[in-house]
Amino acid sequence: MSVLRRVGLALFAPVLAVVVAVLISSAVMAALQVDPLRAFEVMVDFGDTPSQQVTALVVVLNRAVPLFLAGLAVAIAFRMGLFNIGVEGQYRLATVVAAGVGAAVVLPGPLHVLLIVLVAMAVAAVWAGIVAVLKVTRGVSEVISSIMLNVIALGIASFLLTGPLRGSPEGASIISTAEIPESGWVPSLNGVLGALGLANPPRQLYGFLLVAVVVGAVIAVLLNRTRFGFDLRAAGLSPSAASASGVDSRGMVVKTMLLSGAVAGLIGLPDLLGSTHAYTTDFTSGLGFLGIAVALLGRNKPIGIALGALLFAFLDRALVPLQIQDFPASVVTIIQGTIVLAVVVANEVARRVARRSAERGSGPAAAVAGDGSTGPGQSTGGPGAAGGEGTGAGVSRTTGAGQRTDERQETGA
Amino acid sequence: MATAGTPAGAPAGPSAGGTGAGGGDAGAAPLAVELRGITKRFPGVVANKDIELRVRRGEVHAIVGENGAGKSTLMKTLYGEHRPDEGQILLDGREVSFRSPADAIAAGIGMVHQHFMLADYFTVLENVVLGSEPTRGGRLDRATARRRITEISERYGLGLRPDDLVEDLGVGDRQRVEIAKVLYRNARTLILDEPTAVLVPQEVDELFGNLAELKREGLTVIFISHKLDEVRKVADAITVIRRGTTVGTADPRTTTARQLAEMMVGTELPSPEIRTSTVRETPVLQLREVTVAAPTGRPPVDDVTLTVREGEVVGIAGVEGNGQAELVDAVMGLRPLATGTVRLGGDDITAWSTRARREAGLGFIPEDRHRQGMLLDAPLWENRILGHQTRPPAVKGPFIDRRAARADTARIMRDYDVRAPGPDTLAVALSGGNQQKLIVGREMSARPRLLLAAHPTRGVDVGAQGAIWRLLEEARAEGMGILLVSADLDELIGLSDTLHVMLRGRLVATLDPSAVTPEELGGYMTGAQTAAGAA
Amino acid sequence: MKVAALVLAASTALAACASDEASSGSGGGGSEGGSDEPRIGLAFDTGGRGDRSFNDAAVAGLETAVEEHGGEFRDLSPNADASNRADLLTQLADEGYNPIIAVGFAYGEVIGDVVEQYPDTQFAIIDSSAEEVGAGNLTGLLFAEEQGSFLAGVAAALKSETDHIGFVGGVESPLIQKFEAGYVAGAQAVNPQITIDRQYISPAGDFSGFNAPDRGLLVAQGMYEAGADIVYHAAGGSGLGVFQAAAAAGKRAIGVDSDQFQTVDDPALQAVIMTSMLKRVDNAVSAYIDSYVDGSIEGGSDIVYDLEADGVGLSTSGGQIDDIQDQIDDYRQQIVDGEIEVPTTP
Repeated sequence: MSVLRRVGLALFAPVLAVVVAVLISSAVMAALQVDPLRAFEVMVDFGDTPSQQVTALVVVLNRAVPLFLAGLAVAIAFRMGLFNIGVEGQYRLATVVAAGVGAAVVLPGPLHVLLIVLVAMAVAAVWAGIVAVLKVTRGVSEVISSIMLNVIALGIASFLLTGPLRGSPEGASIISTAEIPESGWVPSLNGVLGALGLANPPRQLYGFLLVAVVVGAVIAVLLNRTRFGFDLRAAGLSPSAASASGVDSRGMVVKTMLLSGAVAGLIGLPDLLGSTHAYTTDFTSGLGFLGIAVALLGRNKPIGIALGALLFAFLDRALVPLQIQDFPASVVTIIQGTIVLAVVVANEVARRVARRSAERGSGPAAAVAGDGSTGPGQSTGGPGAAGGEGTGAGVSRTTGAGQRTDERQETGA
Repeated sequence: MATAGTPAGAPAGPSAGGTGAGGGDAGAAPLAVELRGITKRFPGVVANKDIELRVRRGEVHAIVGENGAGKSTLMKTLYGEHRPDEGQILLDGREVSFRSPADAIAAGIGMVHQHFMLADYFTVLENVVLGSEPTRGGRLDRATARRRITEISERYGLGLRPDDLVEDLGVGDRQRVEIAKVLYRNARTLILDEPTAVLVPQEVDELFGNLAELKREGLTVIFISHKLDEVRKVADAITVIRRGTTVGTADPRTTTARQLAEMMVGTELPSPEIRTSTVRETPVLQLREVTVAAPTGRPPVDDVTLTVREGEVVGIAGVEGNGQAELVDAVMGLRPLATGTVRLGGDDITAWSTRARREAGLGFIPEDRHRQGMLLDAPLWENRILGHQTRPPAVKGPFIDRRAARADTARIMRDYDVRAPGPDTLAVALSGGNQQKLIVGREMSARPRLLLAAHPTRGVDVGAQGAIWRLLEEARAEGMGILLVSADLDELIGLSDTLHVMLRGRLVATLDPSAVTPEELGGYMTGAQTAAGAA
Repeated sequence: MKVAALVLAASTALAACASDEASSGSGGGGSEGGSDEPRIGLAFDTGGRGDRSFNDAAVAGLETAVEEHGGEFRDLSPNADASNRADLLTQLADEGYNPIIAVGFAYGEVIGDVVEQYPDTQFAIIDSSAEEVGAGNLTGLLFAEEQGSFLAGVAAALKSETDHIGFVGGVESPLIQKFEAGYVAGAQAVNPQITIDRQYISPAGDFSGFNAPDRGLLVAQGMYEAGADIVYHAAGGSGLGVFQAAAAAGKRAIGVDSDQFQTVDDPALQAVIMTSMLKRVDNAVSAYIDSYVDGSIEGGSDIVYDLEADGVGLSTSGGQIDDIQDQIDDYRQQIVDGEIEVPTTP
């Protein structure tokens, strides 16, 4: 019974999210005088021939891989209450350096790839580590410092690309690093598609998909099954309780940011090692910011993030066929945004419903509930005050033992 | 079943009207608040059942019951935070239906929460008007607000200065700000949720003085408590709740505390008294000249030296905010020392991390379980691990052993009578008493050499309180050293072998708990009485 | 904090999805494409349709062609980070559009694979060379921006009263550096001692410089305050900021790509636009369609639109450079005759 209930609750959120998203976006489409049924039909139509269908699938998966990694990087920090908005700069800088290193050396296949991957992870981790060090030594909010470091990272990436790592000839319209030799490429998974009896599409399915799956599984185990993950999550749920339990909050900030950064370093690699083989002026940007949305969409859980990344990728692919079917590009972007927003809203609603039912489901043995000390956040009569205090506390959480009165405000706000 | 037939509140109130008449009786003054047959169900649970409550205008009406008995659910119903499934609410004889606390406020009901909801860096005035600011041309009309607050303060003897920063106020003053806040919104009926839990005896007396003023001005007070002596002192009428329903009413002048307690729990009152000393020679915790510095002002902990031996309970008494919390943090390694040393057994642990201290045998029952003791949004088995991340049964190598943690949580729930559906229940779903029993069980299970217990029975019901006291006594008898910080003077006097009084960061007196009364102790705590007593 | 994060994420999610091109939709020609009437596909780069400049010029060229030859066209915009450029091309090809025109050099990276995959479809790419790809169904449409910019430099130097002019580039990319090189050469050909301030809004790899009027304004403002009286911009959407700075300083500016005197709505801004360096993308596009229709496309090669082919030049709307038209024509002739060799890198 309790198992059924848990499964029910677990399924409840995504199902509600989808239903709400469909309803809201249908309403918006109707308001824009677009036929929602037709729009959804176009979105799920992956083409007529098997080749087209598999291509569409590959397009979605290839797009989802970097988004998943980006979401994961953001979520790791979120789980301990840190907002790593600097994923963008971390992966851009990591990718350009990794591309430069990858092009500069020749090694046997797997080693070459491994070296590139490690360089990317190390660079991004160091960059994220700066944020952590500033936070624990100087109390600088990670949001502020990582935004600043984003700007610096883009500047450095641009300098490296146009300067020391430039591999393209003078005057070429696209500046790029030198191409990574073939030993440093990650082979595509098209062979696997063939083995599954699917048509072999003209597009290459990134081999990095497997790496992403492995990384996702490792992170899931790390967060949920290890002592380290427990400390990290405890620090996220309640910094004060975690400190009292013996978690070194400063050390935890550093470790978490290093881990988040290391995963961020992987974001650019599916494209780099799977298709472009060089970092160019047009290298896909903005994935770090999309990762924030993906992480929230997936409620900071690896499985959820994977679904969120697939949803984003799916919507992205739909952009083209919708335009072909005469849906104006602006309407298409509105539809995309609405769906994402609706999912976020529905997620939040589902979370609250689940929590409320947990609060109510107390002690059937005692046949009583709703004891005063259970729900500090419920007191609607509170002034809704102290807004400024509340957010401030969120940012400076790890500074340690605040006063008791601070706590009161947090619960009141 | 409800015993509505019990004569309600006999001849206590000023207007001894017909008790059975209720709101419909136009002849007598209608009851200020009347609840008839209130039932509130949550999925799988009946929180309130057939509640009957009659509160006369102008009386202090106490509602007593164990924590978890359903008092708070009832008050939330009355305050409009949720709607009852059955039954009626009548105010001044008219049936009302509240959709939200805003409706309740509009109908003249105000709530003073147990946990204050004040913004520290705002002034008294700003806190009082927050949410119902008088405006003139879109701007806060301070003149009007100040006039009204001063008027309220004088009329009810609250003694508030509108421009004081709340940060600078003591607990008693803060409570009066909360009361002023409710009065500012024109409440005619005030609900006070465990108002004395955070006060020392002198402050309690002041609060009771304020309540008398409110009563004289014709206001009605509903007073929730489980401190029976206080209730008998201040209330005009008492309603007792047990297991979600009203079991009867009592006249405070003719009912003893013991009778009331038996109505509440059906069993005899537990007593914290320790009969025989089990103190041994070996010290387990030694603080030497411990000072904790603050960025500005005097150090919160100033040159504290004390020793806890095996089998000894050392109590720290003091008015809240005199450095006890900082002392606790210092012992736990959550706050750096400016000077001094901390020794646990034979080890100097001054520079050790919190985790190392815990591993070395330091157990911790924190003052604020929500802040330091639990992960509210995590299941109980994860809360079992908290603080014991590096020790069995929670872990296997670097991994969490979920199965063992769940099993051990189930054991704690059995052994320590934690009432919850199972180890996977979220901690937030438990009542305060059950949360606290889980924490105590968790800390005891690690068999610490020294247990640091800060307010171990704060906000828990009588039943759980007795259970926790028994556990502490047993642990002490087995040789555990206990450093007990508490605001409950009976608890301190009853449990401690040695009692220190902390005032402004210093230990100002060492008392023999067997020879001190709560009143004397209160005197030392406020600095009214000074003596360098020998233990 | 949670709420803040949520709001932020929601807004980034929206922002990420919303590239703010005005509207797309079906193209001009009403008639359903007959068998020999071309169904033309057009793939924009970020910024897309509605930029009143480069991209819109391509649409104008298509409209001209469709008017002449019949048929229809379909234009597609990419997603926010333009990671799906290849998908735009393959979708158009799958839908049977032929020919397909890729607008912007960024397509150079992906078009090689696509043309291989659709050998029966004709492709053209603007601002990128087809010769390195070497496929028979790809034509590069290139412009000698440095030549047009040379004339802009000549005009600026002739008209400057302070012997001090400026150049604002959008992104420090090789393409925009061509504009800078020609402009500087032209100005120095007239007056070797002239002071030329040169600045880019964003570094290579950061394309925000093409769509940041506020930063364009700041950069140009600095130049005007330093004494420049004419500033030439090659900064796409950021050029609006340059015009605003000119209007505020009472100085003048030179537009780019299309005749910005015609496309800018505000008369106050019109007044400061001395001339514009025209890049006749419309001509190139309609000429390409013409040759497709009459079957004269030579794949695998580049067509360079230079001064001689009237692919680049200066606009005369507003009449502010009428008095120096003779001198400009003189320089133009020298370039056409090969007497002046215009550099392509600064």
